[in-house]
Amino acid sequence: MSEPATTPDSNLLVADDVRKEFGGLIAVNDLEFTIPERSLVSLIGPNGAGKTTFFNMLTGLYRATSGTILFDGHDVTDKPPHAITKLGVGRTFQNIRLFPQMTALENVLVGMHSRLKGGIVGSVLGLPRVRREEREARVKARELLEFAGLGRVDEELAESLAYGDQRRLEVARALATEPKLLLLDEPTAGMNPQETVTFMEFVARLREQRPLAILLIEHDMKVVMGISERVTVLDYGEKIAEGTPREIQTDERVIEAYLGKAATH
Amino acid sequence: MCFVALLLAWLGVNLYKTPTDFFNVFLIGLTTGSVYALVALGYTLVYGILQLINFAHGDVFALTGLFASSLIANRFNLDENSGALVILAGLAAVFLIAMIFGAVVNSTIELVAYRRLRSAPRLAVLITAVGMSFIVQNISLAVFDVNFRSVPPLISDANVFSIGGVHYNWQAFFVILVTAPVLVVLSWLVKNTRQGKAMRATSQDPEASAMMGINVNRTISFTFLLAGGLAGIGAVLFLVEFNIRYDTGFELGLIAFTAAVLGGIGNLTGAVLGAVLIGLIQAFNEGLSWFAPGSDWTRSIVFGLLIAILVFRPEGLLGERTPEGA
Amino acid sequence: MARRRDRARTSVRGYRDRAVRASRLDSGAGQWRRLPRPVRTFTPVVVLLAIAATYPFYLASLPSGNVPLIYSFPSVRSAVTILVFTTMAVGLNVVVGYCGLLDLGYVAFYAIGAYTGGWLASGQFQQVRFHFGSVGITHDARGIHISIWLVLLCAAALTAIGGILIGLPTLRLRGDYLAIVTLGFGEIIPQFVRNADSLHGFDLTHGTFGISPIDSPGFGNTVHRAVGLPVSYQQSFNADRLFFWTALVILLVTIFCCIRLRDSRLGRAWIAIREDETAAGAMGIPLMRTKTWAYAIGAFFGGAAGAYVASFNAGAFPSQFSFNISVFLLCMVILGGMGSIWGVVVAGVILSWLNVEGLANIGTWLNDNVFPSNHNIEVAKYQFGIYGVVIVLMMMFRPQGLIPERRRKRELEEGGHGTLDDGIYEMRGADEPGAGERGSPGGPIPRG
Repeated sequence: MSEPATTPDSNLLVADDVRKEFGGLIAVNDLEFTIPERSLVSLIGPNGAGKTTFFNMLTGLYRATSGTILFDGHDVTDKPPHAITKLGVGRTFQNIRLFPQMTALENVLVGMHSRLKGGIVGSVLGLPRVRREEREARVKARELLEFAGLGRVDEELAESLAYGDQRRLEVARALATEPKLLLLDEPTAGMNPQETVTFMEFVARLREQRPLAILLIEHDMKVVMGISERVTVLDYGEKIAEGTPREIQTDERVIEAYLGKAATH
Repeated sequence: MCFVALLLAWLGVNLYKTPTDFFNVFLIGLTTGSVYALVALGYTLVYGILQLINFAHGDVFALTGLFASSLIANRFNLDENSGALVILAGLAAVFLIAMIFGAVVNSTIELVAYRRLRSAPRLAVLITAVGMSFIVQNISLAVFDVNFRSVPPLISDANVFSIGGVHYNWQAFFVILVTAPVLVVLSWLVKNTRQGKAMRATSQDPEASAMMGINVNRTISFTFLLAGGLAGIGAVLFLVEFNIRYDTGFELGLIAFTAAVLGGIGNLTGAVLGAVLIGLIQAFNEGLSWFAPGSDWTRSIVFGLLIAILVFRPEGLLGERTPEGA
Repeated sequence: MARRRDRARTSVRGYRDRAVRASRLDSGAGQWRRLPRPVRTFTPVVVLLAIAATYPFYLASLPSGNVPLIYSFPSVRSAVTILVFTTMAVGLNVVVGYCGLLDLGYVAFYAIGAYTGGWLASGQFQQVRFHFGSVGITHDARGIHISIWLVLLCAAALTAIGGILIGLPTLRLRGDYLAIVTLGFGEIIPQFVRNADSLHGFDLTHGTFGISPIDSPGFGNTVHRAVGLPVSYQQSFNADRLFFWTALVILLVTIFCCIRLRDSRLGRAWIAIREDETAAGAMGIPLMRTKTWAYAIGAFFGGAAGAYVASFNAGAFPSQFSFNISVFLLCMVILGGMGSIWGVVVAGVILSWLNVEGLANIGTWLNDNVFPSNHNIEVAKYQFGIYGVVIVLMMMFRPQGLIPERRRKRELEEGGHGTLDDGIYEMRGADEPGAGERGSPGGPIPRG
């Protein structure tokens, strides 16, 4: 892992006046968003608030209609997804997008694609350098799988894993990209309380061991309040509140957004 | 854009040099374009509702045409000596039968092959369509052999009008006479009938349509029936104008598909517009004399056009540039 | 260690386990399973290779004429064509099977390879006189005459470049449009070679006549005198056998390279793209570049095969190239199993054989033995219908092919959770409209 080049309090990601329009619909409305280094920030809001759209802009899947996004000092507003990943942004998906016909190990190895160098000629000829790189990659991948509690199932096809395992595999795969910023899109969706607790512990272990920042989209308030350092609330593509979990819980605008005006009266 | 300018310039020069040729060729293009339109509509209707390029469509066209030719020649015994009323009645009957034949064949293909693969990845259905195309083509080959089939000149080739060297005969005009009302009826069908609305709804969102009570399967079958019927009419017209062989469907299918893409795939008016344009382009290429590549290069030109559209403007002329999704 | 084994030997449970194991082990299957995996994988390959390589020797002793159904075994000459088409199918498998790109215009690579062979090893360009390692022709013959071995490499490289050029505009398109555009190129290029005999007066491809004769592979007089290898294939008395063995070598090299690539970083990237392109991009795989590599590699082997066939036939003719061939090769990949090298090889051999003489033979046998004497059915006429049926049936009932890709086979062996027949289609969340991807008809995809 490379050491962060900037001081601990500086921002790893700065989204400035970011806007996304789909035809007439404004999904993200001049949003300003920062993620400090090594922090764990949550992004919450009612369905359709623009959270995943924002995620997709951060990772290059969507191009912002206007505004700029700076990551680790680089302007990534117009960069394609693979370039952004190479700079150090890893992600999971709201609807699990593992490679179903690849084993857990292979899924993680794909995550390492941008960190490996083996080329065509080296692979075909079986050059020692490439062989060594592959061996080491597999060792590293197995370590990641162990860390995610998937050591036993490394040769299982991704599509045959249990749901909770699949979620953690997605995280392991994202970790394989050696990210400085990890984006988790509703990682506990569909999990029962026990699985959710296991997942939260996993995230806690993750933060202890690696110097990365995490941006979390979540609906499960226990998770959000339990592990976030900062919570940002979106509604209709705009930031309506931002602060510590405690502050957000008691913010009127937030309650109104979730439950409607009547709830605050 | 500059390409279009060059094209117009080339046309302009030709017009100046050989004006009568130009207009004759123009009319030919219009006529062929009408036939293409009927087939292109078939492609666009099916693509609109299933996002599937029905590769077999062109071959259904060919098979129907071959069937119609044997009908005319063997069953109805029509030839240039039959009385005018007999010819008209016979042709009307042939049109009807061809329409039904095309419709049935097309929707059978859907029932047998595509329906099972409704939930399959797009690639799988596309590959199946290629396979079906070969099967239909081979059926044509098996039943009708390798010869070109056509019909005796049933429509007179006297001129409808002839202005200063520019001729337009009844045979060609017949095509327009048939196509125009068909298009009108189709347009009415799509806009005003329940089935038409069901088609449009299903092409936008099959799940929501199903939830609104639309029988998606039946709507899809109807679309295939419609597309096949149009192809049937087109086949008879093509037969009257030219001739058909077991493999005519392939080239014609690609031309029609290019037309549909040119106009904006999924867009009915676009299909007609694109077809007319392609008809014109082909006619200009083959008929004009100043720097015209000639019929050897028609296929390449059409394919080149297709590639260019898909790369530079995939939504075609009348389509909308899609926003990047939900 | 020894102590633990002793204890196992004396315990009752250990005894029972050993008894069970012993009875299984002594069976053939048990013994087979005990061998280390590399041996188990290699042995069938080696055996098959031996059977294939010695084919010309025992062909004469095989029955011929009236063998049930197939009438007779393919001649060595036919076998060369079979091997070459199978090589092309393996190349196509890289594009369609590994990377999931539906290429309907692979015949373009075949054509480019064949004509490159023609340009570099024939009298086509009478304007120059350039010899480099050529065999079998006089040294004052005009034209470019380079050693076929080099020509194979050049043709492969040139075709690969052609593939990259074709791929540049094409590969950013969505699946079905990609298919159509590749079909387009697959049509344009043969039409081009058919008509390019007078490009501003310059004869590039000799039009409908094609380029012939094309030189022969060979090793020249010096090598012949040193090690006894043939001087020139076309002029040898056992030309067919020589071509056969070389074709076999080419096929094996192709298979070897493709296996190595499949198991490499690039191969994983291809399969990831096939499984879920968006996720692949998000994991750092540069999509356009990776797809272009797939295309280039496919083109490379297609071009090599094309050039070899041109030398084998001593000519390259436009009539050889048509859309039907692209679909024919695709049929091999589908029948064999997309992404499965050995499946594609088996299917390739079967279908090529059917095409080259199998269907005609079957027709003869059927007409002799099954159909009444006045009903002569020309089975070969229906070959493309048969291929169409194969494609449709495979897609509907066994999309994973005859010999599924290794992953799915493992699942079959272990009785994994996902069922293959429904599972393949239902699990494919990857192809469902996901966030950010649903394009209405005609829309461009979000990112390349």
